[in-house]
Amino acid sequence: MSDWSKATRPIPVPNEWTKPFWDAANRGVLELQRCQSCGHFQHPPYATCTQCVATDLKFEAVRGAGTIYAYTIMYHTGDKRFASVVPYASIIVELDAAPGALMAGNLLEAEYTEAKVGRRVEVVFEKLNDNITLPQFRLARTNSTE
Amino acid sequence: MWENRCKVAVSGVGFSKVTRSAEVPLAAHALTAVKEAVADAGLKMSDLDGLATYPELPATGHAEVDGISIVSVNCMMAMLKLPNLSWHIQVGTTNIGGAVQQAVNALLAGVCKYAVVWRAMHNPRGTYQNLPGAYAQGAAQFMAPYGFGGPGQGMAVAYTRWLERHNQNREKMATLAVTQRRHTQHNPHAYFYGTPLTREDYLNSRMVAYPFCLFDCDIPVQGAVAIVLTTADRARDLKPRPAYLAGYGQRLHFEVAGRIGSLADYMEGGRSSAKLTWERSGFSPQDVDVAQIYDGFSASVIYGLESYGFCKEGEALDFIQDGRIELDGELPLNTFGGSLGTGRIHGLWHIIEGALQASDRAGSRQVKGANVSFVGASAPIVTGTTFIFVREPY
Repeated sequence: MSDWSKATRPIPVPNEWTKPFWDAANRGVLELQRCQSCGHFQHPPYATCTQCVATDLKFEAVRGAGTIYAYTIMYHTGDKRFASVVPYASIIVELDAAPGALMAGNLLEAEYTEAKVGRRVEVVFEKLNDNITLPQFRLARTNSTE
Repeated sequence: MWENRCKVAVSGVGFSKVTRSAEVPLAAHALTAVKEAVADAGLKMSDLDGLATYPELPATGHAEVDGISIVSVNCMMAMLKLPNLSWHIQVGTTNIGGAVQQAVNALLAGVCKYAVVWRAMHNPRGTYQNLPGAYAQGAAQFMAPYGFGGPGQGMAVAYTRWLERHNQNREKMATLAVTQRRHTQHNPHAYFYGTPLTREDYLNSRMVAYPFCLFDCDIPVQGAVAIVLTTADRARDLKPRPAYLAGYGQRLHFEVAGRIGSLADYMEGGRSSAKLTWERSGFSPQDVDVAQIYDGFSASVIYGLESYGFCKEGEALDFIQDGRIELDGELPLNTFGGSLGTGRIHGLWHIIEGALQASDRAGSRQVKGANVSFVGASAPIVTGTTFIFVREPY
């Protein structure tokens, strides 16, 4: 199992679009940008709704339960920041509450071989420093399918 | 059908030496390829009056130095000092296929007579995707912290989605790698010319980013290729048999910057480009005699075969089996070896091979009786373009 304390994760730099997402994550809440016109959730944050082009967008809390949409297992050690944790699973998650809004993460607290398309996962939060907390995922412990 | 079909043709092709590392500045490679393409067409350098390229270096974290790591239009203009230059362009939203299409448009508009398009590719020293830095800005802030670095992982996630959704097996990809490497042995310009690859080599090779092993990824190289295009009436007066352009298309689908491309996005990119090409040329996938489909990562061939309409979704790894993509098969594929055989030069080599096959100039790898020659240049989602070349104008 990868010991993630040995990886040097690059620290996200929030900008005017993304700051509410990171502020919420810092409070241990997953908030995604939602179109107030058509109700569509999207990620990453953007200037307009990617579905209906409306500009009235707000961040709303969503439940962190979803499924693995896709994944890759990294073996290559070219990126020295992550060389000490290979092989590791980088996963793409589709949340039950926000279909189509795909989020990246790692599969924490599990062997990389546990990553499979369709597996149920739930959000956990990994504090990087006082300002930035990363939403992450682990295999679901509750049997909820929403 | 397109009123301009078969009004522009490819008349010359040129290649520099392809090397693993940069032994001479990239500008020298580009110059060799351009001069060779002009000579192949039977033209003089002073006949050239149009220049087009897509100069991007796909590596990350390396300085962009014109003439060393890229060869821009300005660089080429300064080197050649063409006395009759009348038009030039450098493209952005499409890869090198877009530069070829712009040259076609310029020729049709009558603003130049003989255009050259080149693609020069550098292999920087050190790690190709050089991703140092303690911070992740812009779109990378949602990917880089999770260890998503180079494009390989981005392509790999769509591939796992495809494999597991369609209950498929990555070991079937060995057929593509081995067949293309066999085709490579008919292409003396290719990096892997003289280096065979067996099914066992593929199956035993090290993983890079699962499901991609080493032989699913094209090898970074230094080299350049070039192509001379002209109007069909001028092409008929030149030495080589023309490869007539019957139609082209470009991807019309894109997701907002930083959004993770879903498998559906990959498919829509390819479908939109191919639809234009089928409609403009009047052909359909069943009419195609030979195909070149971009293969910087092997899985691009899957998305290409399926989104262009050669087979149904989920079937591409079965489609390539049983000799179908051999030189004498039902759909000879990447007959020059593909990027997996030549090294990473991007899609212009696919376009060159499509033209050579259509003009019966592909030597020992020529597909007999090939008339309709299809090209999918670049990965469908990112910068995809499609082309059809034909031997007989219609």
